[in-house]
Order: sequence, then structure tokens, then C-alpha cells
Amino acid sequence: MNGRGLRSPASAAVSLIVPLVLVALTAAVGASGTPAFEETVTLILCNLIVVLGLQVFIGNSGVYSFGQLGFAASGAYVAALLTIPAAFTALQTPELPKLISDAELTPLLSTLIAGAASGLLALVVGWPLMRTSTLAIPISTFAFLIVAYNVLANWDEVTGGSSGLVSIPRTTDLTSAALWASVAVVVALAFKRSASGYRLQATREDEVAARSIGIGLMRERLIAFTISGVLCGIGGALAVHQSGVLSPTTFYFAASVTTLTMLVVGGARSVLGAVVGTLAVATVNELLRNFEEGASVLGLFSIGETPGLAAIGLGLILLVAMVALPEGLSRGREAGEIESVRRRLPARPASPSPAAATRPAGEASGRLRAEAISLAFSGLHVLRGVDLELPPGEALGLIGPNGAGKTTLVNVLSGFQAPDAGRVVLGDVEVTRWSPSRLARAGLGRTFQAALPFAGLSVIESVAVGAMGVGIGRRRAVGIAANVLDRLGLSEQAQRPAGLQPPGNQRLLGIARALATAPRHLLLDEPAAGLNDEERRELAAILRGVIHDFGCAILLIEHDMNLVMDLCSRVQVLDDGRTVVVGNPEEVQAHPAVVEAYLGTSYLEDAHA
Amino acid sequence: MTELAQSLIDALALGGLYALIAIGVTLIYTVMGMMNFAQGEFIMLPAYALYVLAGVPFAVAVGGALATGIAIAVLAERVAFRPVRNADLSAQLVTSLAVATILQSLVSATVDGRAQSVATPALVSESSQVGSLSVPNLEILTLALTAIVLGGLGWLLYRTRIGLEMRAAAENFEMARLLGVRANRVIAVAFAISGALAATVGVLIVMQTGQVSPTMGLTPVLVGFIAVVIGGFGRISGAVIGGLALGALSSLLGTYLPDGLVPFRDAIVFSLPVAILIVRPQGLLGAASGEARI
Repeated sequence: MNGRGLRSPASAAVSLIVPLVLVALTAAVGASGTPAFEETVTLILCNLIVVLGLQVFIGNSGVYSFGQLGFAASGAYVAALLTIPAAFTALQTPELPKLISDAELTPLLSTLIAGAASGLLALVVGWPLMRTSTLAIPISTFAFLIVAYNVLANWDEVTGGSSGLVSIPRTTDLTSAALWASVAVVVALAFKRSASGYRLQATREDEVAARSIGIGLMRERLIAFTISGVLCGIGGALAVHQSGVLSPTTFYFAASVTTLTMLVVGGARSVLGAVVGTLAVATVNELLRNFEEGASVLGLFSIGETPGLAAIGLGLILLVAMVALPEGLSRGREAGEIESVRRRLPARPASPSPAAATRPAGEASGRLRAEAISLAFSGLHVLRGVDLELPPGEALGLIGPNGAGKTTLVNVLSGFQAPDAGRVVLGDVEVTRWSPSRLARAGLGRTFQAALPFAGLSVIESVAVGAMGVGIGRRRAVGIAANVLDRLGLSEQAQRPAGLQPPGNQRLLGIARALATAPRHLLLDEPAAGLNDEERRELAAILRGVIHDFGCAILLIEHDMNLVMDLCSRVQVLDDGRTVVVGNPEEVQAHPAVVEAYLGTSYLEDAHA
Repeated sequence: MTELAQSLIDALALGGLYALIAIGVTLIYTVMGMMNFAQGEFIMLPAYALYVLAGVPFAVAVGGALATGIAIAVLAERVAFRPVRNADLSAQLVTSLAVATILQSLVSATVDGRAQSVATPALVSESSQVGSLSVPNLEILTLALTAIVLGGLGWLLYRTRIGLEMRAAAENFEMARLLGVRANRVIAVAFAISGALAATVGVLIVMQTGQVSPTMGLTPVLVGFIAVVIGGFGRISGAVIGGLALGALSSLLGTYLPDGLVPFRDAIVFSLPVAILIVRPQGLLGAASGEARI
């Protein structure tokens, strides 16, 4: 098993080492300057930990949260209250429980507890927030930030209210900040390369396709949200142990904009981006701030106490980055994935696993059955009592004119659309209202009319995530993906970005992704659409192999009659939401209603010609 | 009875203000699918226009505020938002955050970071006798403006060519464009109206609080966002109902919350809508949308 990875070992090593070296270099530069400069660099490294926390959630999920600084704030307050000497605590927050007010923990312990507390808070807050829609998460997390601020600024007995806390032990030095930042780099990269990380990235690339391979959107988002909360909490705790003072505004709107700018400028999708963006923005920020001080010292014009210029600069950087460089400086790549670096590294492709992507016998198997499915969209009847039966190992063709209800039926079968009436049964279990991801985990795979590629992942990643989606461990998933790619003739492309594949390959990738979930039943929605004749022939051979080798039943929606008649042992014809006829290909082709409703006289003429 | 009626009017007035904010956010969302963070600054800058124009007749200052709101909204669209028109929602949101930051810090740098007081006509701080109730003139003004805006918007959207184009663009932007809807014009008009609405809100807030500050737009923009979310994205009617509901909730909590909890009113007001979203992710009025792409 060793050495088999989604990335070659050399690429993975470079991806880890480069950001760590950048952190070490930053620390070295900080150590070479004045004490004031050293403090600035220490704070930047604390900032980096928070930005890495943002990266874990935003980068992998593709959903912006504006609330993560709330977790930095909670971590900072927890760390402060646990370490402020008892005598000072009594003055600032007299009503705090004695256990906390007397506590004078070591900075290491207070930082760890702060991380755990913030993680717990993120779990509790995230549980409802992650249930809201992709559109609503940025807003509900923004609401959380304001709620957190409101509580911190008014809960005088515990937080010291709007005046905040002072006399916090200043224990974070350059070395400890650099060490913690390195830990955060490792955590962020490890999460990105974990099965959970890949599942979350798949939802970022395409929510619908991710659900079709068994991925639970809310669960994966919540995991990342919690880890992000831990990192932000640790970053906040370290920062407050550096500055020694804390107020509700420390980690509020301005800090949110700063950290978000750092992430976006560097490129949210990569850990390298978080590091590069933090360093780049912090450098510009410091230069602007120095210029501001310089300007007022020279007496040319006084900008006042508010850091106006630096803030305007920050906003402009963010604006320019969004308009001109939406993928950030790193273009969303880790160091080992940058093309010019990758070409110089020894490639060791993943080897196919001898274990074929089949589901062990005894798991939810048996036939897939639909009984009297009816569905109407605002009065328009799309399905009117359709039955369908797909026994194990069989290939069933589903044909009919456009608008007959074929895709809608597949949507009902795969859980994307609840029927108005009727039942779907898998084996002995009624699965009518199961979610798509639960059905996928039960062995029901599907593809879509559009390829819906996971464009930001590599070819092998985008297939392996199918196996991970149904709960197969990372290592086995890689073997399965290599195996599937091998059969589909895509092994050569394994390390290339999925989004850059030609349309024919992308279509195959959709099938490969579904196959990697080890389906017992595979629903294919027009897999040959848009393929040329050559590709169609290859597809037919591949599908025949799939039925034969993978032993899964196939439901094939297709307009290419030759493909259907060639592959399927039975064909079901739908028209206007009703089944016209079911039978073997010869029977169906001869059926007068089929000739009239779908094939048309021209088809017969063609056939005779 | 009187007390109840009084608090209902308070609730309605605050709800009207929130509805005006939410309509401004929704208009931009419908024509370009963007949740605009800078809407708060479209509120804040016109308020500063009142501050800068102190000394001139108040009506003139209000005119200046309206012009400022429209100008800044149209300018922001042209310079910042047009280049990211086809980017995804997150990218647009972050872009608008950048615009918000720039405008906020520009004001901090040129005027002051701290709050400044603004004199408003005495008339708005007085109350009128309505039956047995004494209703603050500001609440009457807010309610009247809400009604006028709703009526005017209804007329614009359903009785004019540009309104038809805006509704078409809201339904299906690309299709509308193919059918000859002038995209740039529709979006510019939406921003102009949104800017005028924001300016109105800014003026009302100044009349209420008597001061301006660079961050004064932050809470209103959140109010607008949440109202839009609970009302169901992209519907003017949803924005109005969401705004009214949020305003009423906030106002009633202010009246009936126990003293110890009053400082946490905002925390409660902003937490409750999230509960609605968990039960109905599509919002109160939003249709349960199907899977659009399959």
C-alpha cells in the first residue's frame, strides 16, 4: 500500500515543505529586526494561523464565512480569562466564577483550551448554520459575527464589556508563533488531503454531483467549520498573548476584512495561497502604515489616528485581486502542483487496486423497483403512475421522446426529486424519501446529462472522491480510482486537472466517478450525448465491460437507438409520463405504439434502407 | 390598549425602515445575483452628505444626500461590480466587501473615524397627536416614505418599459439579454434606484440618531441581508415582509425584553431568523426550488 497516493510523494513533500520554509523564513526575518519589528512579525504569524483556519473552511467548501473571526475572539477571551493574574481578574471581571478568575494557566494550556473551546463553539454554532443554504451561509455567519460582538461588548461581568481586558500575560514570542503556524500549516494540508477534505472539495466543485456519490453536504461542511474554529481560536489566543490587551473590536469587522483579503489574495483553495497571501498583504499593510506615520511625521498632512490609508489600501488590494486575479497569487495550487514544479518531480502514478470496485455481496442488493410513480410540477403531469423494475446485473434501456419523463424518473429513483405518489424500493427496503447521498451509499449510482466535472480536482482525485463519498477509506479509494481509470482508458490523464479534459473524457469521468462508488445499480442519463462515433463505440465497449465485470445493473437513458438495442436486454418506452411498452428490444421495436410515438416512420425507413 | 397600539406603530415604523433597506438589497440581487455588502456604505455616504451640507436648508441637504446615494451606487457598479458580473456569488460578495471597506476608510481618512453629530429639523423630533396616541413625526414620515416607495416601485416595475426589462432580467438574465433587454442600462437603473433608497434610509437614520459614523451602515446592511434571506431571495414582496417582520421583532423586543437582556437585543434579533432558515432554507416566501440543472 505504501507510496500509493493521489499525488506523487515528491509532489506532496514539496507542497508541505514550501509553506513551512516560508514560515521559517518569515520568523528568521523577524528575528533579524528591532524588537518592535519582531513583535509585528509575531502578530503576522498569529494572523497566519487564523487565515489558515479560514482556508480550511472557505478554501475547501468554496463557501464564504464572515464569522470565523468570532471564533478567534472566543479563543482570545478564553485564553485571556484563564491567564490573567487573579488580582487583576477581580478588578476587571468581578463576577466571574472563582474557578476561572483564579486560574493562571500556562500559555500552552490556555492556548490549547482556547482552541478546544472555539472548536466546540464552532460545532454548536455550525450545526444550525451549516443547515442553511449555500446562499445563506455567508449571511448567517456574518450575523454570527455581529451577535458574537454584541455579546462580548455587553456581557460586562465576564468579558469586561466594551472596554475589554488588560494585563493579559504576554507570552507569545516569535518562536512559539512560528511553531504554532507550522502546526496549522500541517493541519490545514492534512485536512485537505483527508477523505473528509476531498469530499468537501467535491461539494465545492459541484454540489449536485457530490450528493450523487454519497456525500453529505452539511456533515462535511460542519467538520471543516469545526476544525476552522479550532485554528482560529488558537490564532486568537496566541495573538492576545502577544499584545496583552483585548477588546470586542480586536477580532471584528476590520480583522475579518484583513484576514479574508489575505486568503483571497493568496488564493483560497490552497494552503500555500493562505501563507503567501498573508505575507504579501501584511507586507503591503506595514509599508502603508509606515508611510502613514512618515507622512504625519513630515507634517505634510495629518491623516489622523485612524489607519485610513492602510485600510483603503487593503480594500483596493482586495478589489483588484477579485477583479484581476480571482484565483489568487497561488492560483489555488499547492507548491507541488504548480506545473513547472510538477514536471521536474519524479511521477509515481497510483497503481490499480486488485480489488475491483464491486460491493461485497450481502449489502443492500436485490432489485430496484419503482411502483406507480406520479409527479406533477405546478399542474403539469410529468409522470403518471410509472412502474419500473431493474433486477441485479440487468441492463434496461429507458427511451421515449423529449419530455416523456425519463430524466424525472431517474431523479425520483436517485432521490433528487420526491414523487407525489408511488414508492421506490431497493431490495426489501422502501427508499422513496431517502436523500441522494444516502441512496448512493446504499449502492445506487447515477450520472447526469451534463458531465458536472469536479473541475478543480485532478482526474484521479475526482474519481477517488466517488469511493470516499460512500465511506471507503482514502487509500482503498485511490486503488479503486486507478482501477476504474485503467478500464476506461484514462490512466494517462490521472494527474491532470479534471476541468481541462476534453468533453468526451469528462463524460467518461462522470461514469468513472459513479463506478467508484461501487454501485449495484447505475443510472446513466444520456451518456453518449455529444460524443462522436468513435467515442460512442468506445463507450459501448466500456459499458458492456461494466455490466460484465462490475456486475452492476444499468438503467440507460439514451437517444442513440443502436446503443440501446446493442446493450440492453430489456427496453422500457415512456411517453407523456406513461409506460408505453416494456419488453426485449425486438418486441419493442415492433410495437406499433412505439413506432408511432417515438421511433417514427422515418426510423423504420432507415432500418429498412 | 394605548400602549399596545403605540408599540405596534413603533414596530411598523421600524419595520418600514428595514423594508426600505431590504428592497435596496433585493433590487440589486434580482438583476445581477449579487448580495451587496456596500449597500451599507450607500446608506452611510448620503448621511455624510447631510453632515457636510450642514447650514444649507435641510431640504437642499436631503437633495444632496439623494444625489450622493445615486451617484455612488452607479459609480460603484460601473467601476467595481461590472467586471465581476459573471463571477460566482462568493466572488461578488467579497468584491462588494472590498468596495465597502474602501468607502468606509475613505470617510474615516477624510472626515474622521469617530461619530459626528448632525443637526436635524426640530419638526422631526416632535410628535403629532393621532386620536389618543402621540406618534413621533419621524415614524409618520418613515411609514409615509415606505408607502410612497412601494407605490412608486410598483408603478415602475409594472407600468414602465424599464420595469418590464428589470423583471425579465430578474427571471432569466441571459434570455432577457438575447431578447434585447439592455443589460447595462437595466443594471445601472437598478443601482440608481437602490442608491436612492439607501440615501432615504440614511437620511431617516440621521434624523433618528442625530449622528453619522463611518461604520453606521454595518448593522443596516446585515438587517437588509437577513430580511432578504428570510423573505426568500430575490422577491420584492419577500423583502418587504422580511423587513417588516425583522423590524417588528426588534421593536417589540426593545419594549418587552427584561431590562437585563436589552443590551443583547441585536444578538437575539439576528439569531432568530437563522432558526427560520433551518426549518425553511428557502426563506418564508421562497418557493422550494427544484434542482435547476438536472
